[in-house]
Amino acid sequence: MLDTAAIRDAVNVREIYRYMGYQGNVPDADVCKLTDEVLDELLQVIEPKSIYKRFECIVENGVVSLYDLESKSLSIMATSRNLSDNLAQCSQAVVMAATLGIGADKLLGRYELINMTKASIAQACGAECIEAYCNIIQDEIKNWAGKSNMYLRPRFSAGYGDLALDIQKDIFRALECTKRIGLTLTQSLLMYPTKSVTAFIGITKNAQGCYSKSGDKCAACDNKGCEYRND
Amino acid sequence: MIDGLGKKLLFFDGGMGTLLQARGLQAGEIPETWNILHSDKIKQIHKEYLLAGCDIVKANTFGVNSFKCKDTDYSVDMLVSAGIRLVKEAISEVTAEETMADRNSAVRYTALDIGSLGKLLKPLGEIEFSTAYEAFKEIVISGDKAGADLILLETLSDSYEIKAAVLAAKENSSLPVIVTMIFDENGKLLTGGDVASVTAMLEGLGVDAIGFNCGLGPEQMKRLLPELTACCSLPIVINPNAGLPAVVNGNTVYNVEPPEFAQSVKTLVEMGASVVGGCCGTTPAHIKALTEACKNMPIQPITDKNMTVVSSYNHAVYFSEKPLIIGERINPTGKSKFKQALRDHDMEYIYKEGLLQEEKGAHILDVNVGLPEIDEPKLMEEAVTGIQAIIDLPLQIDTSDTEAMERGLRCYNGKPMLNSVNGKRESMESVFPIAKKYGAVVVCLCLDEGGIPETADGRIAIAKKIVKTAAEYGIPKKNLVMDALVLTISTGQDNAKVTLETLRRLRYELGLHTVLGVSNISFGLPERSRINTAFFTMAMNNGLSAGIVNPSSEPMMAAYYSFNALAGLDEQCMEYIEKCSQQPEKPKVAGGALANADAKSAMSLEDAIVKGLTESAYQATTALLEQNINSLTIINDKLIPALDIVGKGFEEKRMFLPQLLMSADAAKASFEAIKSTLSKQGRQSESKAKIVIATVKGDIHDIGKNIVKTLLENYGFDMLDLGKDVAPETILAAVKEHNVKLVGLSALMTTTVVNMEETIKLLHEKAPECKIMVGGAVLTQEYADMIGADFYSKDAMGSVRYANELYEAGEI
Repeated sequence: MLDTAAIRDAVNVREIYRYMGYQGNVPDADVCKLTDEVLDELLQVIEPKSIYKRFECIVENGVVSLYDLESKSLSIMATSRNLSDNLAQCSQAVVMAATLGIGADKLLGRYELINMTKASIAQACGAECIEAYCNIIQDEIKNWAGKSNMYLRPRFSAGYGDLALDIQKDIFRALECTKRIGLTLTQSLLMYPTKSVTAFIGITKNAQGCYSKSGDKCAACDNKGCEYRND
Repeated sequence: MIDGLGKKLLFFDGGMGTLLQARGLQAGEIPETWNILHSDKIKQIHKEYLLAGCDIVKANTFGVNSFKCKDTDYSVDMLVSAGIRLVKEAISEVTAEETMADRNSAVRYTALDIGSLGKLLKPLGEIEFSTAYEAFKEIVISGDKAGADLILLETLSDSYEIKAAVLAAKENSSLPVIVTMIFDENGKLLTGGDVASVTAMLEGLGVDAIGFNCGLGPEQMKRLLPELTACCSLPIVINPNAGLPAVVNGNTVYNVEPPEFAQSVKTLVEMGASVVGGCCGTTPAHIKALTEACKNMPIQPITDKNMTVVSSYNHAVYFSEKPLIIGERINPTGKSKFKQALRDHDMEYIYKEGLLQEEKGAHILDVNVGLPEIDEPKLMEEAVTGIQAIIDLPLQIDTSDTEAMERGLRCYNGKPMLNSVNGKRESMESVFPIAKKYGAVVVCLCLDEGGIPETADGRIAIAKKIVKTAAEYGIPKKNLVMDALVLTISTGQDNAKVTLETLRRLRYELGLHTVLGVSNISFGLPERSRINTAFFTMAMNNGLSAGIVNPSSEPMMAAYYSFNALAGLDEQCMEYIEKCSQQPEKPKVAGGALANADAKSAMSLEDAIVKGLTESAYQATTALLEQNINSLTIINDKLIPALDIVGKGFEEKRMFLPQLLMSADAAKASFEAIKSTLSKQGRQSESKAKIVIATVKGDIHDIGKNIVKTLLENYGFDMLDLGKDVAPETILAAVKEHNVKLVGLSALMTTTVVNMEETIKLLHEKAPECKIMVGGAVLTQEYADMIGADFYSKDAMGSVRYANELYEAGEI
């Protein structure tokens, strides 16, 4: 599948090591080899799917309102200072959802039974694969935005900073995530399949602080003590 | 009944969502609330579709379910009954106007339209199968009561959810059931099922028509339809979108216009669809163009494909000329370790047996968990649910307990195989109704009240009786697989001959598929595998469709691949070459082969564990045990110190998580060697103390918890793992039941830490003697103190240290 090959190319293996807790160190040869192996197995079972939609974006008093471009109706409303800051300069925003599919969860379940080492590595590989996939999508959006001299803000997901997970309900409705890409939302607002991401991506005329490639994804987070932090 | 279904071309209506948006539906609004708030607009859309010429109108009930209704002011019943009523009114108004104009009126039908609940089912997802069933049941009962003529289950993409929906529809109404699913361009459901697997399951469950909707446009469905017509013996329903949803500048649009849509769907009718309509993006104009383009078109005759097939969630397995391997290892008969695993509720042991057989080339797995002293129905359900979560093969539910049978079949995600029924009246009366209901392929033993006939004639007579009785229950021949029965040749020299003759006649005279428990033939003889392989080959050559064998037996599998190659069933001998070429001898262990028990020349257990070498650890342990070194000495003097070295390295950040886990996996292998020796001596390993571990309610991340569990097991604790998303009450109940003094809780999200706090409160109140340790990405020492935890573990080793301290202090 095209998406899988593209994800393979986009994966940054150093990020996988970072998720495994190596904090900038490179693992020994055995672990590196095992990581390659697990990544290959994972790439064979994932079925990446995504959907995104563009909205008109209005930010006022810490509230972000996204309107359907055609019907002009209000689709998503988020009360969040951090998201407001992220989208402050944006006239439009894209909301995206992406998943690696249920195959990744099945593989993880299998590993957890027979090989915890591989399970923990697969967890890290899955995290990097979905990030890489999101980067691919974001680059695609960046390309057409670029044609109108617009720039993209770094993507921003529910659960970052003060953006509560409740917003997932609006996102799921607005994008029809379940029907289109098989994503489901639990009562506690987490997603199945687990290797999935939803995010806001602001579109602005202002190039400053904007998304270049994989970007500074930790910048908006307050958890400065996080061992996975990359700044 | 739907008049004409499968006999003439019928038309569904088209999409609803886009039309509602055009009439002012706000994006956050739930469309079904319009059945009450804007009923005139909904009815108007139904009338437009009826005037466009459709026969079946979908009520605006697609998204109604108890989960979504929580966000509205309405109940499921209010929205469903209003939805059905609006279609019925639209039909009667249009029909009345037609009569006045003296036009030829046809019968029109109201479909109760049911979509996905938007939840993934356990064990991979959030809700229980039974919860999904109850949610669908509520909708079905409302729709039936409101007067729907049929139930349309549509836009579904998870075979397990589909099964829950079909059972709910069939058990709570007598309405016809049509199922249309959403496949992607590769012909896969979003949960991985393919067309053949889900068709097998649905035909087995007795639905009335099967098809595709949504996801794709008519052109893409053209590529997929042949897959369905090849395996489906029911009328086919196709409701495509107006093209593929194309993203244009960040917006989803459908761009197939009515005339083009009509022409494409017309081709689908020529290819075998017998009910057609539209989904997303289609309008009354699309349906009008369609009904006009296809007016008076005949449909392709619907034929019984007459195939014997079973399926898992993701693929179908067909019985054919080429024999199949049914793995026999998940069965306690004659296996003391397996029996012990069942008594200990060691599900992991069962799952590993399954994984191994899958790896060794089994096509179907037999699942037998019967022991006199255990609750077999409960365990059967648990085993089937657990196995199908990680293994892709179809399962054969093997039990003589009809309750276990029913529970295993009910929770099974696919078209199952059932082992077994026999020619006794009592057996047929209890098994056939269950087999019919769940569409199982049944293994039929050629024996009855008179025992096992000594002659082939006698066995054939019983087979005929079974086929005839099955037909009375509505079970066709294709869903029966005959067991010709194998008796050991050590007690009767003609036993093999009789079995082979029976096989031949069952297969070629009666046209039935056959199965045998092959290895029974050699019971009581030395070197059994020699007889077994020879007999297996003879049986395959005499019409054996599936052998119940041990796929880990190399001689048996070699006989199997050789037979296929010789019988012309293996194209260019490719499979034989792949499976039977001499594999270069792999060095068993990095660091030197362990040919004998001389521990000095081999890697020491300590080294093997520190380096994380699973096989070396197993062999080093076996070697120590063979030198009669006490297992406790091995654990305390070698295993634990080695784990401590790695644990310390991890804590000092000289070693990292994968290395810690590799050592843990190696230690696990060492324990397995110890366990296996102890069980041979009829003893069990002793554990330090029991610890309950769980990921708290609302949280679905469990890798951290599983890592902690693995390490604590290594240090000799007996871990009771309650899984993820566990309610506080469940944790308390486990603590009380097992009198546990230490609980480990994990939470990864800030939003679920509140549930951790709730759990801690409950435990401290109701089980004050129980200590609670917590961990997880968002937790800190301060946070843990705030929510009242007794211990905060910043990593997996922290929990080991704490548990050991408590154990040494005699507190747990």
